[in-house]
Amino acid sequence: MTEPILEMRHISKRFDMTQALDDVSLSLYPGEIHALVGENGAGKSTLIKVVTGVHRPDHGEILLDGKPVHIHNSQEAQARGIAAIYQEPMVFPDLNVAENIFISHRDRGLVVNWGRMYKDAAAILAKLDVGLDVRMPARGLTLAAQQAVEIAKAISLDVRVLIMDEPTASLSAHEVAQLFRLVRALSRQGVAVLFIGHRLEEVLEIATRVTVLRDGKVISSRPRSEVSAEQVIRDMVGRQIEDFFAKSQIERGELLMSVRGLSKENAFADISFDVYRGEVLGFAGLIGARRTDVGLALFGVEPADAGQIIFEGRDLKLRSSQQALELGIAYVTEDRRQLGLTIPMSIATNITLPTLRNYLTGLGLVKRSDEYTAAEQYRQRLSIRADSVRVEVAKLSGGNQQKVMLSKWLNARPKLLIMDEPTRGIDVRTKAEVHHMISDLAAQGLGIILISSDLPEVLAMSDRILVMREGRQMGMFNRQQATQENIMTAAMGQNHLVMETQP
Amino acid sequence: MNLIRRHFRPEQIRELVLVLLILAIIIFFGTQVQEYYSGRTFNRISTSIAIIAVVAIGQTLVVLTRNIDLSVGSIVGFTAYFVGTQLSRNNDIPPMMAVVMAIALGAAMGAVNGVLVAYGRVPAIIVTLGTLAIYRTMLVEYSDAKTVLTSTLPQWVQDLPSDNVVSLGEVDIRLMVVVALAVVVLFQLVLTYLPYGRRLYAIGSNPDAARVAGFPAQRIVFVAFVLCGALSGLAGFMFMARFGNVTVVAGFGTEMQSVAAVVVGGVNIFGGSGTPIGAFLGAVLIGVLEQSLRRWPVISEFWRDAVLGMLILVAVATDAVIMNRLRQLWARSELQMEIPSAPQPVLAGVDPSLEVDALSERQGEGKHVS
Repeated sequence: MTEPILEMRHISKRFDMTQALDDVSLSLYPGEIHALVGENGAGKSTLIKVVTGVHRPDHGEILLDGKPVHIHNSQEAQARGIAAIYQEPMVFPDLNVAENIFISHRDRGLVVNWGRMYKDAAAILAKLDVGLDVRMPARGLTLAAQQAVEIAKAISLDVRVLIMDEPTASLSAHEVAQLFRLVRALSRQGVAVLFIGHRLEEVLEIATRVTVLRDGKVISSRPRSEVSAEQVIRDMVGRQIEDFFAKSQIERGELLMSVRGLSKENAFADISFDVYRGEVLGFAGLIGARRTDVGLALFGVEPADAGQIIFEGRDLKLRSSQQALELGIAYVTEDRRQLGLTIPMSIATNITLPTLRNYLTGLGLVKRSDEYTAAEQYRQRLSIRADSVRVEVAKLSGGNQQKVMLSKWLNARPKLLIMDEPTRGIDVRTKAEVHHMISDLAAQGLGIILISSDLPEVLAMSDRILVMREGRQMGMFNRQQATQENIMTAAMGQNHLVMETQP
Repeated sequence: MNLIRRHFRPEQIRELVLVLLILAIIIFFGTQVQEYYSGRTFNRISTSIAIIAVVAIGQTLVVLTRNIDLSVGSIVGFTAYFVGTQLSRNNDIPPMMAVVMAIALGAAMGAVNGVLVAYGRVPAIIVTLGTLAIYRTMLVEYSDAKTVLTSTLPQWVQDLPSDNVVSLGEVDIRLMVVVALAVVVLFQLVLTYLPYGRRLYAIGSNPDAARVAGFPAQRIVFVAFVLCGALSGLAGFMFMARFGNVTVVAGFGTEMQSVAAVVVGGVNIFGGSGTPIGAFLGAVLIGVLEQSLRRWPVISEFWRDAVLGMLILVAVATDAVIMNRLRQLWARSELQMEIPSAPQPVLAGVDPSLEVDALSERQGEGKHVS
């Protein structure tokens, strides 16, 4: 084979607690379509950011044409012939197609020659076999057409390495076929393509080489001809489960909530499940599986369009979060800083915020002392590490913030608790505490829906696991059936490979 | 229809609508106001529009980048007063020198805004609200609340407002009007034919993409503020020449008039679209309305501002509706991506020698798991 264009040697990158990349080496050859796959948090995004100059690696070097280079920002990366295309195309909606292609060029003279620009743009699109009018404003273009414009732009800039970060995530099957034609055209012209994808069948269709990343390490890197879907999935999973606290077995109580055919346009469709008291129902899936949307629908924030929710035997039409809260449904958000907590306020005010009505005096004023008493109970019960409940939430660590958020919703005395990524970004010890808490809550008879992208966590904590993929329910697994392979296979849309399934 | 769609942007159709609207207003007031179609009316309206049009062009540059410059009124006032004072102190300053002084002073004040917005990353509305007050206070301090008097200005300045370039019967085309038109044409060309101009649109159109597109977005925004200041400086000079008497309230409210002209003229307040010609037409529309309402006895002077305000709201609302329709029309056009080859089966592109593990055959079975 010829010499690689881009070579990454022993790249490592660490963010606070997590080793995002651990001694990653990867080579990109001209004409190669190199697929990069891995679970959420495997390090794919970090790797792209290192190559495009957004992050600097802690160790290791990047070689371009065999020479070491230091890339500081995306402009520099572009100048060296490395371009990235993201899920959401970065086009300028008010400019037309030709302008979008040439907006970053520096060598096209002092004055815009519109005639020549249209001609050149048309020539580039023709080379790619894209029938797109160069005078069209980009605003009206479909996502696929916008991506075609971005690819044309990359080509006109003499890009040699093109990184595509989940370019197919919001495309229809037909558009994906168009995109793949373009990618193949590029590779025929000698461009090295690094393709990041979540849909395994697409990855296997387009790639000439497949590299699997797990926990920041390269697990395998094989030519397409030597890999199978089963093989890739096996490489992606396989983390140790032993380190995790497992949910204690609890006698499952009576039926708490039944959901049938829950659907919401452009989000999810036909989701059906039951939750029992004392049960933890795990929601597994990759990013973009739309699990959070289901959570928000059950909490009434973004109500579903269709389907039935029966809660404690009553048919519900959930329209607001207040309504959900009064019924006993609480939702602990994944986005602590934006949606979960009022960061500059104290622990006590945060905890009592949704239930403030219970802390009023006869005149309708907030009774501080009651607030503090209630908050103090939670501080002790969940061992929130702070001197007092008057401390601002901003001063707490991520894990303790998580506990404050949990206290806030527990204080509403829910019957069903929806937890969205409750352990994201917190350290191992606090993580174990949160797991312990979930188990305790279930033992007290709460029904819990646990949305988590951390596969071993879902497996350890859940009594049953619902797997979603792109807004669809891919399967429901009980404890015996749920293995990392089975879950990941379903999450990647390869259900037919699952050997044992629930009837 | 396709021909129209190919060669015109929706914005251009919109400007045509604006021209028709202005004509309709002129025809309407022709039936309402006596001696409306006279040289005097034209001269009064055209000179009043000239100053605001120049500021509106500067405002357009800034608004295109998804920013706003609220300090233009104070820049107009300060440069008018400053240049006026210099000219009354020394009547021998050459005319060109005085103009350059005004422009340079305005540019310097615009540069302060530009640095803070582009490099300091402070929102433009905050920065320019601050400098609006600061520049006005500088003017009050500098002037000591005195007034520049017409009689102290050199003769050429006193004559300037009535200088004609051409006269057609009793209709005079004043020098100031020609200057304003020249500014409009110049910046229309800059925005159409210079890479700088196209990038202004790009930045306002999608600031996130502009950051990773590989051109100096910060510098482009900075220069937009400098140019806006420079044009406000030029407008300040025109203000001084037109009114002669310059007080501390000179140019008061110009920021709102310029923003109104820009918005009515179809420049998107969220950046990315609009043209100097559009902004100019907006200034004309507002100027014609304002001057005509003044002479229309039906509406009392207390209601004039309210009527004007309502017309602006109506203009912006219709604009939004029309633009949406036009854009949909353009987007729906059959000029969209055409696919030469028929959709391919899922694995058709892969070399048949590769191990194809029957993915496509099994795909249909995936569903019945749940």
